[in-house]
Amino acid sequence: MRRRSSLPVTFLVPTLAILLVLSMVPTLYAIVIALQNRELSTPGYSWVWFSNFADLFLDRRFLNAVWVSVKWEIVTVVATMAVAIGLGVLMFEVASPRLRNVYCLLFIIPVLLPRVSAAFVWKFAYHPLYGIATYPYRLITGGLIFDPLSKASTALFAVASVDVWQWGLFFAVIVLKLLETLPPQPIEAARLDHAKRWQIHAYVTLPMLKAPLISLMFVKMIESLRSFDLIYVMTRGGPGVATETLDMYAFSQGFIESGKVSYASAMAVLMMIATVITFTFLWKRVQA
Amino acid sequence: MRPGRLIAKAILALAGFLAVFPLVWTALNALKNNVDIITRVPRLVFSPTFANISYILGRDSVLTGLYNSVIACGSAVLIGVALGLPAAYAVARYPNRFAGDIQFFVLSLRFLPPVAVAIPLMVIWLQVGLYDTLPALIVTYSLLTISVIMWLAMPAFQAVPKEIEEAAFVDGYGAYSVFWRIALPVAARSLAGAIAFSFVLVWNEFLIALMLSSSNAKTLPIVASELSQQGMNVPWGILNASVVLLSLPPLLFLGVLSGFLNSVFRQKKT
Repeated sequence: MRRRSSLPVTFLVPTLAILLVLSMVPTLYAIVIALQNRELSTPGYSWVWFSNFADLFLDRRFLNAVWVSVKWEIVTVVATMAVAIGLGVLMFEVASPRLRNVYCLLFIIPVLLPRVSAAFVWKFAYHPLYGIATYPYRLITGGLIFDPLSKASTALFAVASVDVWQWGLFFAVIVLKLLETLPPQPIEAARLDHAKRWQIHAYVTLPMLKAPLISLMFVKMIESLRSFDLIYVMTRGGPGVATETLDMYAFSQGFIESGKVSYASAMAVLMMIATVITFTFLWKRVQA
Repeated sequence: MRPGRLIAKAILALAGFLAVFPLVWTALNALKNNVDIITRVPRLVFSPTFANISYILGRDSVLTGLYNSVIACGSAVLIGVALGLPAAYAVARYPNRFAGDIQFFVLSLRFLPPVAVAIPLMVIWLQVGLYDTLPALIVTYSLLTISVIMWLAMPAFQAVPKEIEEAAFVDGYGAYSVFWRIALPVAARSLAGAIAFSFVLVWNEFLIALMLSSSNAKTLPIVASELSQQGMNVPWGILNASVVLLSLPPLLFLGVLSGFLNSVFRQKKT
């Protein structure tokens, strides 16, 4: 009786059609724009085919942006997973059930904040003279100035710390919930064999959670692609080009500096191709 | 063992403190006069003022931003519910050859770099004459809400015990009334979590709103970020107040979302 219903068609087809149109139209149009030479200031345009792409590979600022983006992905994903697993295991080990609930609530708060809010909160906190996060440094050194956001060597890490503040704490909650779903017998067995607490986690519980942890990392890799809000508010890609990721560079080429929409779109298309290929490949591996 | 446990507890307490303190500090700064903020030693004791908050609430740009955010996000979430929930139910309950592909397609929408969507859409909306309007923003956000609601609602519908639905069929319910009267109410709590999540997602969205609006359709995150562009000329207290206003709506969903997390993992256990 289920099979003969018209429900799957009436429920699925309109939604999928709308999703296809909403996603394919901009995607295909992005490619069309990338093959032209549109600029915001002038209405006319002509077809230049692949010259935007050829220019990109000679643009040192673009190559820098690729490198910054790769660094951003690695730093935020690794740090998020490290914080999540560390805090998740600690909660599992030493927190009572009631305390766990309190921590879980607290740790979810940062990720709910708009990225713009989180960026502001920490931009104030990192202020060299009046910031609350730089205050301990001023206190210890007797008033020396430390400005993490305007030093090329620290700026990327300072911005990344906000991302990890949001996602690492949130994922710690998920790691705890995953640990709680494990059957207690293997842990008991390891304990009877006099395994130390850290050994139990390193050799028993975390390997058992390998699949969900990899999925979690996959989600974080996708979310790390959305770095724009944090960087736009906190550093605008600066100092110099130290924190200029691909989306920041595409935005400034297309809208702030020169209005070269086609050039920016060529960059966006390359990003899109790279992410779709990478994540399709990873997804098939995760599913397998 | 003892000192180890103590250190572990201290680290946890520190993490808990770090999770909320920056936000609490921002809220405190929103109540401060500028003299109490611009100090080398942070001030915990100060005479509170509501000037910043009333200034923020009295500004037209902020109120317009708030209105735009509520309308754009609210409409996009409604569209997402109307289209995403039925589609998720169909995938969850009527397995077909394409189920895997549909799931992957919905997830892959999340891989698309926002710039890659925003640039062409800006050109398209400019040509159609809808650039910088709420309808353009609502249509664009619907792509986000439909796909996220669909993605999260599929497991929620799968978690509804099949037996209940089979029993309803035996009682003579049609496929549609099983969806309306059985599946929706039973899965309601998880679905509420999914819907709240999609709202938070579009409420927090920045890049697309920034590119698709220039004056009329600016959402609250854009207005807040513009306040800071004026640099130090804007008193910090006012900026802090705008951050607090922007952050409140997502925080209202804290309870719903943490309940959602709990229900997701309780299902996995059984």
